[in-house]
Amino acid sequence: MTSESSSTNFVRFHEDRCTGCAACMRVCPTKTIRIRQQKSIRFVDQCIGCGACVRVCPAGAVSAATRLPEGIGSDHIAIALVSPVLYAQFPHIMPGGVLMGLRQLGFHHTIDMSFFFEMFQYAAEEFIRRNRTARVAPWPLISPVCPVVVRLIAFQFPSLLPHILPVLRPVALMAREIEERVIPEYENRDIVLYYINPCPTKSQSPITLDSRSAKYREVAIGINDIYPVLKPQVERILTSDKMPFSWTHFEFETCSTADAAFGAMSGGEIARMDIENSLAVHGLKETYDYLNRIEMGLLKDMEYIEFRTCREGCLGGVLTVVDKYIAKRHVQKMVNVFGMGRRLPQDTLLRQFEKGRFKIDKSPEVLRKIFRPRKPTISLAEAKRIERIVASLGGRNCGACGAPDCQTFAEDVVLGQAELADCIWLAVHGLKRRSED
Amino acid sequence: MVSLRKTFFVKARDFVHAGEASINIQNLLKSMNRDPKLIRRIGICSYEGEMNGVMHGGDTHIGFDMDSEQIVLEITDDGPGIEDIELAMQPGYSTASEEARELGFGAGMGLPNMKKNADRIIVESEKGRGTLVRMTFSLTAEEAGR
Repeated sequence: MTSESSSTNFVRFHEDRCTGCAACMRVCPTKTIRIRQQKSIRFVDQCIGCGACVRVCPAGAVSAATRLPEGIGSDHIAIALVSPVLYAQFPHIMPGGVLMGLRQLGFHHTIDMSFFFEMFQYAAEEFIRRNRTARVAPWPLISPVCPVVVRLIAFQFPSLLPHILPVLRPVALMAREIEERVIPEYENRDIVLYYINPCPTKSQSPITLDSRSAKYREVAIGINDIYPVLKPQVERILTSDKMPFSWTHFEFETCSTADAAFGAMSGGEIARMDIENSLAVHGLKETYDYLNRIEMGLLKDMEYIEFRTCREGCLGGVLTVVDKYIAKRHVQKMVNVFGMGRRLPQDTLLRQFEKGRFKIDKSPEVLRKIFRPRKPTISLAEAKRIERIVASLGGRNCGACGAPDCQTFAEDVVLGQAELADCIWLAVHGLKRRSED
Repeated sequence: MVSLRKTFFVKARDFVHAGEASINIQNLLKSMNRDPKLIRRIGICSYEGEMNGVMHGGDTHIGFDMDSEQIVLEITDDGPGIEDIELAMQPGYSTASEEARELGFGAGMGLPNMKKNADRIIVESEKGRGTLVRMTFSLTAEEAGR
């Protein structure tokens, strides 16, 4: 049975602010939103956390399930896991300065995710290079970096699960490093990991953090949540000194390169990888189109495709402050002035690769079990009834019934989630064409 | 026995809309939670069928028939027909136009791909009279594994 609720793992709905315009319902790519009693939205089954509803709502009635908690680091060890998108919000300062600003807010550790992104890029490139002869995975391989894409594939394109690159995502590499090296430093202390994110996807994905640990708590903060308090700190740093070296214990705690946010741009992932036949696709609709094409057997000549459901990649995340095009300019300017650089020694990475340190232990079959389709399965007889109902409806996809289109409405009717009488077109044009059996 | 029939139409040389029938069929099978591999095979076959029609055939009709035992995909067009079916079934053999090749199609894998992915395939064609491709996918093996 489909369950309904007023929030998902990724977004929250505030009924008091809803005007009933149904913009969210129309924009939802997985048709997860229904309007009940004019202005109350209900989420059914498969939210992938793309944030399209948050973006489109003119009344602010849908928000991300992220927040800025109070008392960061006051009575616990606060570890910030920083998406490099945060750096692109501050045009006049190096990434290290932004991390220092976070320290001033009370974080004990600031983990620079771009460090692990570079690690991931190396592992991805190495896997693809070896796959040319080993052929253990089908072309085109699909980037696992965007969790929305992974969920979209699991829910709507399950036949493409074997195409997801079986290399640990940057955030998973980061989480493991923290578990292995940072957490053990604080025995019997309360530890909180704060993910500072450009999108509402949190760290919910089971392939992000495999072993849920009792050793720490996890909190997701949107970049838009922390920006107002971080900005004055960053401005203070602009007029003072850099982060003192003694502040950092680990090599991934600060960031001295200017190009850290480069990987957050669309195309930034593949730009640094030496793969000739690769492609970067950004945007929700475009991602859908390309996944459809792969499912129809096309794009076999591509070795790797970087998908981001946000326009311009993670810089266009729904929880960012600076617009994606401006942010992109910031990143490009930084790269122009300071150039690109690599931080990690290749031979160490190669040794780690050989040891299987980047390998994901989840096979496509296991992934398919984790991401079981949550929608009820439609039988052949039900499919036939749905066809007949769709044929009897106006086909205007007006959405007045509370479902995004006639097809979804018909499915809801057959599954007992809606009444045919909810269709206004039928009410106006009479029920004479009604052919429900 | 319950059976479901859907029909689709693709206009000749309509490269923009080709593929929509395949997506429609795939979505239907996804809502029924069928085996992803089966969905993929049928998706490939219907897409190749659509493209064959768009590239060479002319106006193309796609029929999708499903019951509990099998799915039959029937693609008919009123195009020029295939002179030598055996030759057309060879991988790499293509009579695609310059226009189609410029768009990245016409690699000569259409019929071979269909043959590879369908359980049974029948191709009937007469020069000047159009072509019929009927592909059958058995559901009994998949059902047994469910």
